Amino acid sequence: MNASVIEASGLEKRFGRVRALDGLDLSVGAGEVHGFLGPNGAGKSTTIRILLGLARSSAGSVTLFGRDPWRDAVALHDRVAYVPGDVSIWPNLSGGETIDLLGRLRGGTTDARLYESRKAGLIELFQFDPTKKGRAYSKGNRQKVALIAAFATPAELYILDEPTSGLDPVMEAVFDGEIRRVAAEGATVLLSSHILSEVEQLCDRVTIIRAGSTVETGTLESLRHLTRIEVSFAAGPSDASLTRIPDAHDLHVAGGRVRFTIDDERLPAVLPVLGSLGVRALVVEPPSLEELFLRHYGDPKS
Amino acid sequence: MSTPGGVSTLGALVRQRARRDRLQIAVWAVSTGLLALTAATGVARTYGDDAERAGIMRLAVANPSILLLRGLPQGAELPAFVFFQIFTYLALMCAFMAGFLAVRHSRAEEESGRAELVASTRAARTLPTVATVVHGVAASVALGVAVALGFVAGGLPVAGALVSGAATAAVGVAFLGVGLLAAQFARTSRGANSIGAAAIGVAFLLRGVGDALGTPSDDRLSMTSAWPSWLSPIGWAQHTGAFTADDLAPLLLCLALATACIAAVFAVQASRDSGASLLPERIGRRAAAPWLSGSFALAWRLQWPSIAGWTLGGVATGLLAGSLAGVVIEAARTNPELAATLQSIVPDADASVAQVLISAMFAIAGVVAAGCAIQAVIRLRQEETGGTAEPLLAARLGRVHWLADYLVLGVVAISLVLLGAALASAAGVLVSGDDPALIADSFAAAAAQLPAALVYLGVLALVFVLLPSATSALGWTLLAAGSFLGIFGALVGAPEWLRDVSPFSHTPVALGTSTDWSGGAWLAVVAVAAASVALLLMRRRELR
Repeated sequence: MNASVIEASGLEKRFGRVRALDGLDLSVGAGEVHGFLGPNGAGKSTTIRILLGLARSSAGSVTLFGRDPWRDAVALHDRVAYVPGDVSIWPNLSGGETIDLLGRLRGGTTDARLYESRKAGLIELFQFDPTKKGRAYSKGNRQKVALIAAFATPAELYILDEPTSGLDPVMEAVFDGEIRRVAAEGATVLLSSHILSEVEQLCDRVTIIRAGSTVETGTLESLRHLTRIEVSFAAGPSDASLTRIPDAHDLHVAGGRVRFTIDDERLPAVLPVLGSLGVRALVVEPPSLEELFLRHYGDPKS
Repeated sequence: MSTPGGVSTLGALVRQRARRDRLQIAVWAVSTGLLALTAATGVARTYGDDAERAGIMRLAVANPSILLLRGLPQGAELPAFVFFQIFTYLALMCAFMAGFLAVRHSRAEEESGRAELVASTRAARTLPTVATVVHGVAASVALGVAVALGFVAGGLPVAGALVSGAATAAVGVAFLGVGLLAAQFARTSRGANSIGAAAIGVAFLLRGVGDALGTPSDDRLSMTSAWPSWLSPIGWAQHTGAFTADDLAPLLLCLALATACIAAVFAVQASRDSGASLLPERIGRRAAAPWLSGSFALAWRLQWPSIAGWTLGGVATGLLAGSLAGVVIEAARTNPELAATLQSIVPDADASVAQVLISAMFAIAGVVAAGCAIQAVIRLRQEETGGTAEPLLAARLGRVHWLADYLVLGVVAISLVLLGAALASAAGVLVSGDDPALIADSFAAAAAQLPAALVYLGVLALVFVLLPSATSALGWTLLAAGSFLGIFGALVGAPEWLRDVSPFSHTPVALGTSTDWSGGAWLAVVAVAAASVALLLMRRRELR
C-alpha cells in the first residue's frame, strides 16, 4: 500500500441533533483513483467539506497528506483541486475570468505558458465558450468552468463531487480522459459519483457509505466477490437435467432463458455440467457495481 | 382544483404574492405607522408651545439644509409642523417598499427561473405582472392606512391624517410603476433595484432642492417650493398640504406616472422573451485581467459598480452642502433679520453659519457611507450562501484573510464615498464663490463622518461571524434605527440613553477649531475592536 493521502477514521459530524457523519472511515492511497459512493444524503458532500477545511469534524480523526485539513487549510489547498457537484459561479464574471481567477487562487498559474496552453486545450476539448457571463451558463457549462479550472492547474489531489452530473456523454468521455491523464501523471483522485459505469471504468478502489458511515471499502475485484455471478442460457434442457447443476441459487426460467446465480468460487465446478447439458447462448456476467450498489442502498440499515 | 378563467388564476397569483410578503409588508406598514405616531406625539411633547414652534419654523425657513432634509413649511400649527417634519420619510418608506416589491415579483422571479415555471401555466407572461400591480397597490394602501392611523392615534385631525395616508400610498404606487419599468431594463434584480433606488434618491433630492430654494411667505412660517419639487413624486405628494390645504389633486400626477410606467411595461413585455432585458447582456472577457488574482481583487471586481453608485450619492450630498451654504450666506448678507436668526443656531462663537450647515448636510453623507459599508459585508454573506465562497476557500485562501479583504474593501468604499462628498462640497464652494476656508471645513465634516461608518462595518462583520443568517436583515435594520435615532431622536423625544446607542449621535460636529473629536475617537475604538474580534473568531467559524 502506498503512502496515504486521505486518512479518516471514526469521523463524526453533528448539526444540532442530526448526525450527518457517524463514524465514517475513508482511506485513499497516493496515486489511487478512489470511488466514493453513497445514496443522496449519505454524507459524501459533508465529508468532502471536512476534507477541504470548510467544515470541522465533531469527532474522529482526519488527515490530508498527514496534516489537519481544518488547521492547515491554506497550505494544503496548494496541492488540491476541487470540483463541486453543484457549481456556483459569479453571475457577472465571464467563464474565462472565473477560470483564471480560480487558477490563480490555487497558485497554479506560475508557469504562465503551460497554464495558458493547458487552458486553451481544455476549452477546446470541452467545447466551452469562455466569453459568456456566469449567469448565462447552463448547469453543464458551469460544471465545465470548474472542471477546466481544476484540470488546467497541476494538483496532487483532485477532489471531485459528482463532477459529471450535468455533462452530456461526449463530455463525460472528455472527463474520463482527463482523469486518466492526471492519474497517469501520479495524482490522487477522490471521485464521488452516482454514475456507476464511470466509477467502474476509472476507479481502483471504492468506498460505499450509507447514513454517515462506511459500509464497504476495497478494490472493485474484492467487492465483486461479495456478490454472486449471474449465469443464463437459452431454455431447452429438461427440468430434471437442470437439477444436476450444483450450488445454483434462484434458478428460474423466464423470457425463454434459464437464469441462476452462483458463488464465484463454485463456477469452475459448474462449467463442465453446463457443457454436458449442451447449453446454447451461454452468458456469464460478473456482478455489476449496480448490484453492489443496490444491495447497500436498498436495504434498510439494521 | 383549478377553475377556468383568468380571474381565478389572477386570484391565485395575488394570493401567492400576499402569502409570500405578508410578514415583510406588515413590518413596513407597522414601522411606518409607528414613525408617524412617534413624530406626532414627539412634536406635541417637545414643541407643544406655539411660540416656540413658530421660532423653530422661522429657523427652518432660513436654513436650506433643514428644508432639504425635512419638507415644505406650511405654517407653525402643530399638525402642519408634524407633516413638515416627517412626511418625506413616510413617503420614502412607502417608495422603497413598493419599489423592492415590484422587482421581487418581476425581475427576481425571471432571474431565478421561477417566472418560467409560472409562465408555462395558463398564467402566461402577462398575468403575473397584473398580479404584481394589484399586490403592490394593495400593499401601498395598507401602508397609507397605517400612516393615517398613526397620525390619528397621535391626536392629529382625521381629515389631514387621511390625506397624509393617501399621499403616502400614492408615492408607493408611483414607485411600484418605476420599479416594474426598471425590471424591464435590467438583466438582474440587483440592477433593477439599483435603478429603482436611484430614482427614489433623485425624487428625494428634487423635492429637497425645490423646497430649499423655495420662496418664504411674509410671516416666514410657510413657503412656496421652487420648480424642482414639481418634478418629484414625493414633491407632488407633499403638495397635498395635508392639515392645511388638504388638496388631493397633486396625487393624480403620482397615479399618472404609475399608469404611464405600467403601460410601458406591458408594451415591452408584449414583445420581449421571458428572461430577456432591454439593456442587452454584454459579452464578457475571454480571460481575466492580470490584476484579478485574489479575494480583494475579486471583491472589488464584484462591487465596484455599487460602490460607484454609493459614491455618486455622496457626491450629490456634498455638492448640495457646498453650494447651499453659499446660497444661505448670500441671503443673510442682504437680510440682517435672517442673519440674526441663523447666528442663533451656531453653538460656538468661533464657528460660522456655513460650517454648521455643511456639517448638518454631511450627516446624510455619513449614512450613505455606512450603507455602502453594510452592503460590502452583506456581499460577503451572499458569497457564502450562493456557494461562490466555497471554491475560493477550497483554494489557498484562508477564512480570516477572506474576511480581512472584505473589511479593507469596506474601508476603501467608505473613504471613497466621503472623499467624493468632500470634493463635491469643495467644488460647490468654489463655484458659488464662497470663502475658500469652507473647503477645509468640507473635508473636516467628511472626516467626522468616517468613524460612525466604520462602526457599522466592524459591528456587521462581527454579526456575520456570529449570526451569519441575520447579516442582511440586521445590517439594514441597524442603519435604519441608527440614522432614525441620530436624525429624529431629539424630535420624537427618545430618551438620551437610547439616542446614545446610535453611532450617529456621537459623530463629531465639524466646527473648525472648536470641534470636539472625542466622540469620533471612541467610535473608532469600537469599530476596531469589533473588527478585531470578528477576525479572531473567524478562525474558528465554519462555512455555512
